[in-house]
Amino acid sequence: MSAAGTLAAGRARKPGRARRERRELTLIAATIATILLVSVSRHGFMGEQNLRFMILDSVVLSLLGLGQTLVIATKGIDLSVAPMLGLTALGTGLLAQGSGLPLWEAAAMSVVIGLVLGTINGLLVAKLAIPPIITTLGTYSLYSGLMFVISNGTQVDAVPHAYAVLGNGVLARFLPVPIPVLVLAAVLALTWFMLGHTRFGRAVLAVGNNSTAAYNAGIAVTATQIAVYALSGLLAAIAGLMFLCYTGSATVTTGTGDHMELQSIAVALIGGTAIAGGRASMLGTVLGSLFLSVVLTALVFVHVPPIWYSAGEGLMILVTVAAGRRAQAAARS
Amino acid sequence: MTRNASRRIALLAACLPLFAGLSSAHAADINTSKRIKVAMVPKLVGISVFKANEKGAEEAAKTLNIDFLYTGPVTASAQGQVDVFNSLIARRFDVITTTSNNPTQLAPALKRAMRQGIKVVAYDSDVAADARDFFIQNTDYGLMGRDLVEGIAKYIPHDSEVAILSSTPDATIQIEWIRALTAYMHKTYPQMKIVTTQYGQSSPSQSLTAGLNILQANPKVRGIIAVDGAAVVGAGAAVQKLGLTGKVFVSGTSDPDAIRQYVKAGIIREASLWDEVKEGELVMYVARLAANNAITANCTFTAGDLGTFTVKNKVIVFSEPLVFTKDNIDNYHF
Amino acid sequence: MDDTRPPAPVTQGPAATGASGSRLPLGGWERALLAVLALLLAGLIGVVPGFYPGFGGFLALSENFLPFGLVALGLSTVILTGGIDLSVGAVAGLSAIVAAELWSGLHLSIWLASLIGLAAGGMFGWINGLIITRLNVEPLIATLATSFIYASAGTAIAGASPPSGFPDSFNALGTGAIGGVLPYQVPLFAVLAILFGLLIGRSKFGRRIVMIGYNVDAARYAGVRVPRMLCAAYTISGVMAAAAGIVLAAYYSAVRPDMGDVLLLTTITMVVLGGVSIFGGEGSIAGVVIAVLVLGFLRQGMLIWGFSDMVTTMLTGAILLGAIAIKNMLGGRGAGLALLLARLGRKRVRQEAPARAR
Repeated sequence: MSAAGTLAAGRARKPGRARRERRELTLIAATIATILLVSVSRHGFMGEQNLRFMILDSVVLSLLGLGQTLVIATKGIDLSVAPMLGLTALGTGLLAQGSGLPLWEAAAMSVVIGLVLGTINGLLVAKLAIPPIITTLGTYSLYSGLMFVISNGTQVDAVPHAYAVLGNGVLARFLPVPIPVLVLAAVLALTWFMLGHTRFGRAVLAVGNNSTAAYNAGIAVTATQIAVYALSGLLAAIAGLMFLCYTGSATVTTGTGDHMELQSIAVALIGGTAIAGGRASMLGTVLGSLFLSVVLTALVFVHVPPIWYSAGEGLMILVTVAAGRRAQAAARS
Repeated sequence: MTRNASRRIALLAACLPLFAGLSSAHAADINTSKRIKVAMVPKLVGISVFKANEKGAEEAAKTLNIDFLYTGPVTASAQGQVDVFNSLIARRFDVITTTSNNPTQLAPALKRAMRQGIKVVAYDSDVAADARDFFIQNTDYGLMGRDLVEGIAKYIPHDSEVAILSSTPDATIQIEWIRALTAYMHKTYPQMKIVTTQYGQSSPSQSLTAGLNILQANPKVRGIIAVDGAAVVGAGAAVQKLGLTGKVFVSGTSDPDAIRQYVKAGIIREASLWDEVKEGELVMYVARLAANNAITANCTFTAGDLGTFTVKNKVIVFSEPLVFTKDNIDNYHF
Repeated sequence: MDDTRPPAPVTQGPAATGASGSRLPLGGWERALLAVLALLLAGLIGVVPGFYPGFGGFLALSENFLPFGLVALGLSTVILTGGIDLSVGAVAGLSAIVAAELWSGLHLSIWLASLIGLAAGGMFGWINGLIITRLNVEPLIATLATSFIYASAGTAIAGASPPSGFPDSFNALGTGAIGGVLPYQVPLFAVLAILFGLLIGRSKFGRRIVMIGYNVDAARYAGVRVPRMLCAAYTISGVMAAAAGIVLAAYYSAVRPDMGDVLLLTTITMVVLGGVSIFGGEGSIAGVVIAVLVLGFLRQGMLIWGFSDMVTTMLTGAILLGAIAIKNMLGGRGAGLALLLARLGRKRVRQEAPARAR
């Protein structure tokens, strides 16, 4: 299944798409290779229990990464996804723990929170012309401060049964697909279709490729921008709800403490999305998140001390981005 | 809680003859005429065990004419605590009470407070001895160490591999408990091996990750001893996520509300703590008495209906460990 | 990728904006900031009890935020070139840990160890520069990735019990004061601020740095060796981050791997509030220094007043957004719609650089 599009016209389109598909295939191959390699010495790694765990563990980051991919495609960046995730998790979690908020209400609340916070980002970027990195750095601190204000430091320790099922349950006994995976699959299908096969998706890539040209071509640049940040917020909020249901906890530092904003950028880049805009891959992001989950779990299994995990992530970012650059330069010459 | 109440009455009655001779402070004697400002600075404000302290302290503050403030960092950060101390010193608080993330890093700021006449009372996790006026120790460390080990040893083979999940490497109270439980284990179950110690930074999600790491990297582990509130929750959740309920057991120190579901599920058979709410009350009593200069390094005193306590070398031991099991956990709500 | 900077009129060079990088005269933005600082201090002293415990105590407040100022000086250099350095926090922590481990493990004098720590910080910054210029990775991504790596390295080297309890003579750097009144950090920062002001505003090096940020192609055609300058800028940022880390180590008399974490957001805000354009090519050290004082005293005032640290962080974020929004609305580097759109990109070193620039 070919992933999102690129706007390079004419002949250049072929190399672009081929390059992206190669990245996705490379990721799949690398993931399988890692699993096989580690399983040689640690048999449990390839077990059903662990495979399911690694997939489940990557869902939240994948959701976050999908939103980030959209933003990066417009040549922007969204650092505030971490507190948006955390704010949703903490807000709904506190209400669930304290007054038994029903799950569907929590879902509705998440959608609203995400859209509102994301739209604020979009307005600041598009209307006030504040550069995305500064905007989202500012809203990062605003939203994380808000997490403290609504909770006063209280942590969420436990969630009602329905939430736990959403986060850890399976669809049916005979079809044991974990529910979070289903949610991710649905979101991935929707965003993939949106980016690659709708006018909006083409507008997103056009804005990222060359916003002046896009404007001159009649594309509503401002509206497109506001929309991608709103979507990023929406996906971050959904990710937050899934986080709450999966881990059964939330604190004032959920999301921000683990620097999930940086991780979401990492998986988008590893998945083949270009930071310069104009080229994006939804599937790549999800594969990147999965690959990261497999590698990190592998490090645990082979007893690499946890302190080296983020170094590994950093190296992976550099390698994939530098390699992508080289391929890009080679393709142009 | 009538059993405890009658125990206390018996204790008081037995000690009455002693009171006549020893220097002591009685509840009726506690001078509450001057309103004082007392702050409670936990390791981090969010965990339920510290919030339980806060609940008790707030109650006691009302009867002791104390202007009470509960504040602290939102992550287990010694630096965050230092910043708070600086603010309290500038605002001229009378007493600072705290449980520390790191005994030495907090010392310079606390010593500065003491130099300015502010009393410092440490509780739970101690600071350097010369940086505080008094220290309230939760329970006897040896007893806690014993309970922590027995909490899993009763349910697994005595030559099993076990692991420890702690908060941060330098928090005093965790270090003391680990020392006590390791000593007890060597003496009583010499064939039990501690294969790894990991840290969850007092954060539920990081503790969950650490718990998962332990179980995935060491598939033969049969028990996890979690010596911090967030760590117990993380360990319990990790066992559940990996489908190891009934095969791996968790013991540790946590408040009942946070672990109720894991206790009922059988992952945690025994968890030990003490009455956090009452401990919070005691902290306020000691703060008041310290501000009044009514207690010294070696004496006894009465703290309202909490009972009588002995101060030995500036240290006050609060109570015996309280063990939560499936049978009694619904009697407690904090 | 196209350079999306709109072609600016020739006359509107850095020298003509008034925010020329020289310490005096102060441009409009800097003067406004100065007024804000004066009002702020007056307000805090009047309203917050305990904020002004004597002149010495007041000066001592600066001990809490001058380390941020050190980072801001180095970060300004990088941002003036149109880049960014997200690794300053990690470099600060790692450099301080290197110095502390040399002191505790090899028993070097703490001062010698600190010098080595500074050099280490410079090296980490230089590595950032290499990744950006040689591997052609965007500064944002490069410093993001290295911040992961340096943070990991710091945690690994520090181990379970990082060194602490440094000699009192060293701790004085962080918390001591000359004559009990003037904290050592104040002259340290003042001297460095003056040096940077001269470097950026009056030296050839500074002019070139600003030119790169203003229009990297023009700089290249004018013969500026862009990759070398960029490496220099990131090295400087690394050294200043290390300096901040060492001063913090003296302040707390201890090192921790995460001690630099708080630095990033606040220092970026200080730089931007100080009038340096995030796209580069415009700004002055004087403005940054005033911004350091404004944000520093504001945060201290709020903490002393009893607000939680998270609330002050929120305020910092709001100030960041407000400052840029105001700057944009007042004109700055262009206000028309087309220019607004063109501003959507981030400047970066042009990818297909002609061979001669390497």
